[in-house]
Amino acid sequence: MARYILVRVLDSIPTILLVLTLVFLAMRILPGDPALAVLGDNAHPETIARFREQFGLNDPLWLQYLNFLRDVFTFDFGNSLVKNAPVATLIANNLPYTLELTLAAMVIGITFGIPLGVMAAVRRNKWQDNGFRVFSLVGYAVPDFYLGAVLLLTFSLSLGWFPINGAGTDFASRMHHIVLPALTLAMLKMAFIGRLTRTSLLEVLGRDYVRTARAKGASERRVVYRHGLRNALLPLSTGLGLSILSTLSGSVAVELVFNRPGIGRLLIEAITERDYPVIQAGVVVFASVVVIVNLLMDLVYVAVDPRIRVQ
Amino acid sequence: MRLHRRRLLQVGALGMAGSLLSAPALWAQNSSNVIRIAVSAGGPRSVDPNQTTQGADNWSTEQMFEQLVRPRDGQFATTDDEYVPTLATSWEASDDGLTWVFQIRQGVQFHKGFGEMTAEDVVHSFNRARFDGVNTAVMGNIADVQASGDYEVTFTLTGPDPLFLGSTVFQNGASIVSKRAEEEKGEGFNTDSIGTGPYQLDRFDIENGVFLSRFEDYWDGPANIERVECLYIADTTAQTLALISGDVDIIEAVRAPGWVDQIRQRDSSLLVDMTNPGSFMTLHFNLNVAPFDNPLVRKAIATSISSEIVANAMAPMGQPTFTLSPPEYPTGWAHDELPEELRYDHDPEAARELLREAGFPNGIEFTANTSQREDYRSSMLIVQELMRASGINMRLNIMDHSAYHGSNRQDQNTLALHAASFPPVALDYMMRYLSTGAEVKPDGSGGTNYSHYGITIPGVDDELAAMQRATTMEEYTEIGRGIELKLQEDLPVMGLMTLGFTAIRNPRVDLGYEVESGYARWRFHRATKA
Repeated sequence: MARYILVRVLDSIPTILLVLTLVFLAMRILPGDPALAVLGDNAHPETIARFREQFGLNDPLWLQYLNFLRDVFTFDFGNSLVKNAPVATLIANNLPYTLELTLAAMVIGITFGIPLGVMAAVRRNKWQDNGFRVFSLVGYAVPDFYLGAVLLLTFSLSLGWFPINGAGTDFASRMHHIVLPALTLAMLKMAFIGRLTRTSLLEVLGRDYVRTARAKGASERRVVYRHGLRNALLPLSTGLGLSILSTLSGSVAVELVFNRPGIGRLLIEAITERDYPVIQAGVVVFASVVVIVNLLMDLVYVAVDPRIRVQ
Repeated sequence: MRLHRRRLLQVGALGMAGSLLSAPALWAQNSSNVIRIAVSAGGPRSVDPNQTTQGADNWSTEQMFEQLVRPRDGQFATTDDEYVPTLATSWEASDDGLTWVFQIRQGVQFHKGFGEMTAEDVVHSFNRARFDGVNTAVMGNIADVQASGDYEVTFTLTGPDPLFLGSTVFQNGASIVSKRAEEEKGEGFNTDSIGTGPYQLDRFDIENGVFLSRFEDYWDGPANIERVECLYIADTTAQTLALISGDVDIIEAVRAPGWVDQIRQRDSSLLVDMTNPGSFMTLHFNLNVAPFDNPLVRKAIATSISSEIVANAMAPMGQPTFTLSPPEYPTGWAHDELPEELRYDHDPEAARELLREAGFPNGIEFTANTSQREDYRSSMLIVQELMRASGINMRLNIMDHSAYHGSNRQDQNTLALHAASFPPVALDYMMRYLSTGAEVKPDGSGGTNYSHYGITIPGVDDELAAMQRATTMEEYTEIGRGIELKLQEDLPVMGLMTLGFTAIRNPRVDLGYEVESGYARWRFHRATKA
């Protein structure tokens, strides 16, 4: 198993490298000068020249790229061009907020999505199924930033039940702050996981062994949960992996709407300010998370399906 | 290795708890002992006044630092006699205007026990601004600065400057800092700076803001409010909601048409603080690009645009301007003061006639870049509509703010809108926009003379040099007003309007003074909160 994990990690290095190279080039091809973004558009030419020299922005592109690769391989992303802090500190400060939001949204999405999907499958073509279909359509159709704004206006501003901004101070306050952002992200998760569960379960419930279980007199509950749902989990686990990744990327908009700290907000600001080191480090983090999640999902396959054996 | 669902759930729960515990604490509750201002930026960059490059950071440095002299709270000083003693108690200039001697206030304490401010600290502060600041150019007229006593500082200038207090002494970079603190803290001084202002730094949080507490030994008596929190909220909707919900007391306004009216409709009790003039919105013709090389075309464009209409659309923040300097500044001209032929009153038909005269009977078409930032985009869209009525079709290429200014600095624009905040020091902005030394260059190494004025057509370098030699305010102003008239004739650049810096304030907070003019930041040392 350790060898398998190692091979998978090594396999992902070219992908990450390609992504990093594309981001490196894209940031330099795009118009916009980090010196002007940082120093302001009224900066004097000599101040701009000093800044460019200080941060190596006058170096040839190939040298900047080599320096960048050296930084990546030594895990030293240097200092932000804009903020007076090492990039590693910025990432370390923001990553927990994005992870907690992603996890909270996934927990809500799974907790409600799977039962909703089971209900829709079991009550196929009945009002519960039709109701769920409408719900999932809405969940798919409403963009995160819009839903977030609606929830914010309704539950924070009008009703005053939840805070407007930030991420909270202590544990209780953190939980209080995360409810609306997590719900915003979880809506799509619930719709996606619910539909996936329904489809997968319907397929399984039509199999011979389910008919056999019913013929043997097993209760409907046992048939659905013991024989149906367990076997429907395999395609669901693949969907969960994709869902985690989409939640992570969806957190960008939600962090902005709710003014929460996080990697998404950090990256957006860095792009606006042409803060190359932060953008590059942020992409490394995102790419690494994608690799790790994919790997974890493969391992989950093993856990949920004993038939699969690692070669 | 075997994995079980239960184990996976346990790992997930542990991960979530871990992430919750590892992230730092954020804001505390709003109360009557704290003023909270939400500023429009992602996070603070520095609280060293000599290093700040982000306007939002100035809200905290304004509370932490002071200069030798300051204008009255809520105002710009348009002449040197309007400045009031602050960390200096008096000053005197030699007859030739080249030597200035300042008497330093005694007994002023630095924050956090860094001792009494002396002439050494003042000299150190100016030298770092001259040689190691982000705005060293404004210190260019200082030839030398020396401590001529424990509480006396002598400046020697390379040339006379009747506006020395405004052009040099009252600058962010010239804020007085503790020499000992800077030497002890080194690079850390950027985020842990020591000044003499009414508030001292408690916490510099790169993600969320700058947290200040009252400095009890402040030389002018402690501030009324215990704490000031400058919170960084980049998203304007989130900012607005924070104000309406009472989370914050003050927010920076969005400079977009109708924004102030909208927020006041939402809550009519909210108060509006606004400076007049605010930032200059100027239109720069690229004289190297046809048809802007034709003076009749430039006059046609000036005639097709109405400063009043643009300013009204941006009400209440917009104010019309008729020359480069706004009428409130000593070198500015009011509409009725200008000779009639240099007023360029809005007249679409006259603009068409000028185009015909210039050889463009069917009008003209061109592409101009502009920024997606609200004040730029809105202003240029209004200008576009106004020009269309005169047969001038401007295709707008709207790009992100950084890219826009990058394109301007590389001489890639045709009609460039530029917004900038300037104190009433005409020589400063005239040098930036009009001098040949500041000509924009395609490699980006030039300055902000986007018009190539003085290179493509004769400019005002001689007049600017004469202004630098002026020893009295009267002489300085007269030359400056003459330059304005020549600009109206040549039209390399035209004033579009000024946009006031505006903040929306919760009525619980009373600033203790009226905001009338000045930079985009105000002090809270006299503020009270119900």
